[in-house]
Amino acid sequence: MYNILVVDDDKEIVNAIEIYLSQEGYNIIKAYDGEEALEKLKENEIHLIILDIMMPNKDGIETLQEIRKDKTIPVIMLSAKSEDYDKISGLNTGADDYVTKPFNPLELIARVKSNIRRYVDFNHANDTNRKKENQKEKILKTGTLEMHDETKKVMVDGKDIKLTATEYNILKFLLENKGKVYSIEQIYENVWNEESYGAENIIAVHIRHIREKIEINPKDPKYLKVIWGIGYKVEDIQ
Amino acid sequence: MQDIKESILLKFLCYILIPIMIFVLAVSIIDVSITSQYGEMKGPEEYVETEEFGREYLLTLIYNVRDIRRDKSRMQINTESETSSETYETAEEPIEESPYDNYSEIEDESYEYPVYYEVINYRNTMVSQYINYIIIDKENGNMFTNIRSNNYPEEINKLKSEKTNWSYQDGNIKTNIDSINQESTKYMTSSSYSTDNFEGYEVYSNIDPNTLNYSNSLYVQQTVYNIFKGHENLPTYLIPLSAISIIIMIVYLIWATGHEKGKEGIQLNSIDRISYEVISIVIMFVIGMMMSFAIASIESQIPKRILISVFLLCYLIGYACLAVWVSTTIRRLKAKQFIRSFLTYKVCRWIKVTIEKIFKKVTDKENTNRKLTIIYWGFVVISIILACFIWSGIGFLILIAFWIWAYYKLLQYNKKLQKINEALRNIYEGNPNVKLNEEELEGTLKIMAKYINDIAGGFTNAIEQSLKSERLKTELITNVSHDIKTPLTSIINYVDLLKKEDINNAQIEQYIAVLDKKSQRLKKLIEDLVEASKVSSGNVKLNMEVINLKELLNQSIGEFEDKLEKKNLKIEMDLPNENVLIKADNRYLYRVIENVFSNISKYALEGSRVYIKLEKQKEEVYLEFKNISKDKLNISAEELMQRFVRGDKSRYTEGSGLGLSIAESLTELQGGKFKINIDGDLFKVEINWKSEH
Repeated sequence: MYNILVVDDDKEIVNAIEIYLSQEGYNIIKAYDGEEALEKLKENEIHLIILDIMMPNKDGIETLQEIRKDKTIPVIMLSAKSEDYDKISGLNTGADDYVTKPFNPLELIARVKSNIRRYVDFNHANDTNRKKENQKEKILKTGTLEMHDETKKVMVDGKDIKLTATEYNILKFLLENKGKVYSIEQIYENVWNEESYGAENIIAVHIRHIREKIEINPKDPKYLKVIWGIGYKVEDIQ
Repeated sequence: MQDIKESILLKFLCYILIPIMIFVLAVSIIDVSITSQYGEMKGPEEYVETEEFGREYLLTLIYNVRDIRRDKSRMQINTESETSSETYETAEEPIEESPYDNYSEIEDESYEYPVYYEVINYRNTMVSQYINYIIIDKENGNMFTNIRSNNYPEEINKLKSEKTNWSYQDGNIKTNIDSINQESTKYMTSSSYSTDNFEGYEVYSNIDPNTLNYSNSLYVQQTVYNIFKGHENLPTYLIPLSAISIIIMIVYLIWATGHEKGKEGIQLNSIDRISYEVISIVIMFVIGMMMSFAIASIESQIPKRILISVFLLCYLIGYACLAVWVSTTIRRLKAKQFIRSFLTYKVCRWIKVTIEKIFKKVTDKENTNRKLTIIYWGFVVISIILACFIWSGIGFLILIAFWIWAYYKLLQYNKKLQKINEALRNIYEGNPNVKLNEEELEGTLKIMAKYINDIAGGFTNAIEQSLKSERLKTELITNVSHDIKTPLTSIINYVDLLKKEDINNAQIEQYIAVLDKKSQRLKKLIEDLVEASKVSSGNVKLNMEVINLKELLNQSIGEFEDKLEKKNLKIEMDLPNENVLIKADNRYLYRVIENVFSNISKYALEGSRVYIKLEKQKEEVYLEFKNISKDKLNISAEELMQRFVRGDKSRYTEGSGLGLSIAESLTELQGGKFKINIDGDLFKVEINWKSEH
């Protein structure tokens, strides 16, 4: 049972989030401004915080700064501010994720799950084990995206992903060369080992499919990024 | 008082009475003076008897003798000086001129000594014109006369025996004129004009009284006398009476003229508007004519009745003219229009105004044409003047120096012009932060600089204002959108929760579906609205890099593949083999292509083909999307591009109608051109980009 602190001055939104997350088995603690949130944080053991930015008394950014003084628990910012500038400032202050209003409930749930898994499961319990495993077998990894080449298993946040053979090969190639950008042509030539013959957009379709499978929000991908007009890459995340 | 002043009748009466009274006055004065001076006039015979005649007669002879004596003594001094100076040249020169000023020598056989005939009669009095005389210098026997004759001794005898004669011989005076007798004795004792004047000369003279008949002044005197003969008894009190009444009437007219009944101030009539010189000259001319006409009529020997009526007519016309002239003068003076009514004044004023106008035109800084004309022709004239001295070396040097100076001035002027031109170009190129130094320039250029500075300032202001208002607009839209998003979040979430409830009511489920769809559309609208306002105000940070448009197209098709497939749209690609590179911000460029594809997937006719053509031209990259619209496009391309405008029926589908507008703004922000073409149901998007190598 994980405790999630939801902070928003709009009670209806807090209630709605409560409904969604309690269905997923989380325990919700509610707060309606920054001050209250900090109090609740002291009183309870919290595993994740969903934090609105525009709030009375103490806004989201200030509250986040207070939290980050002594705590590393995951914080998902939830805000109507959708500008790049807002997202960057939120993430720079120490937020782990940024969801804009109006949000898709399924996306929010997915992000909550992802962050809790990473925070609870990976960081503490399995960290040492995994490192050993990495040495034993060939594991391609970026962030929480793992590819076990021997078992042909792909996992995101510890969750199994089913990929087709082509998709697996493309992802494998990009993971092996994570951080580097490859054009469609290059990907084709490297994966198929033959000259591209002009049906390049098939690769693009495949990559979209991969994104749809491994990303929480395929339009705002975390791992498999599209560099428009140049190519694709897998982000190198520690 | 006012009534008297404005009475037309009274004035009219005055005008009539004044000439009558003047006439009365004149007649009275003449009557009194003539009768007292001349007594009764009886004609030439009687005139000969008067003292006046005697005095004139004697004086004429005395003057003649004195002149002869004077000329003779001058002649003697001349001959003396000639002999003493012993100059042969002057002695040899014959004296051709007559030694006497008033006489010239004539040939005569009848007299043994030289005869001099009178050529100049400068006294020109009545008596001196009609007197006949012979004067003999006893010293040399020279004879002086105004008589033409071939037998002078005979003439002397004749003169002695004539009816009215006077002679002087050896100090004895012989005469049969009583008046001269009396006169000469008077003069001889009382004045310097004594008979001593005749010493050394013999004088013989006579006058025919009948010739005096035709003498002008005597005749006038006679005529006037005859007219007034018989009125000798006019009472003398008429003189002061008429004089006083004339003065009163004139004073009254001076006081009252120009005032009319029921009108304020001085009234001017049409005569008063004629130039003063013109009216003066005309009136003086008429008066002069009348006067000479009157005098001529008196001198001519016409019957007395006609003479009087002619004279009166002349007098009346003259009077009328004078009255008009005096009255108009007075009215002008009273109306303070006197000086202004002068033609000279008007001419002077016109000249002054014209000169001022010309001067103003010349100094008018705005009118460069005149200034240029003056400068240019000044240059030409000075050049010509200098060229006249070209043959002297200095003139040539000055001319050359002048030309160099003019060239230097032109260059300077041109430099200033270039500065202004540069400033204008800056403004034209969209950089209105221009400040010309007005102090450096003069004349028209200074004015130009001032205008340019003002325009530049205006532009800068306007741009700042519009940027500010655009920014405020964007801010407003962004802020409002934040406020809308919060309640919208709840709507979307609770609709979603409702959807998950087990309702078992088809009607309610349908309602919820509508709510879901519309709340999602609202979300999209708000997002697009914020983006459109940001993009159209240029409030976007661009990160420009080299991009392969071909790659981007392939990637985009990959993204939209399933959406297009769902609508059964087939893509026909026409891509070049080589890479097509352009400089752009990859995320915003994808937004452009995404919006175009999104538009196609929404509005293309299901089952039709979509043609995509990418072409690399010389300097440009050309990208074209063609599809068949599923709805009739009853709208122009321009309207379609405008925000919120969409083809009629598509209003009911999803989307905000901002997609193409955002695409256009984004393309232009990145330096490309975005155009829409509608041809029937064919919908065409054309994008041009500068090619990158």
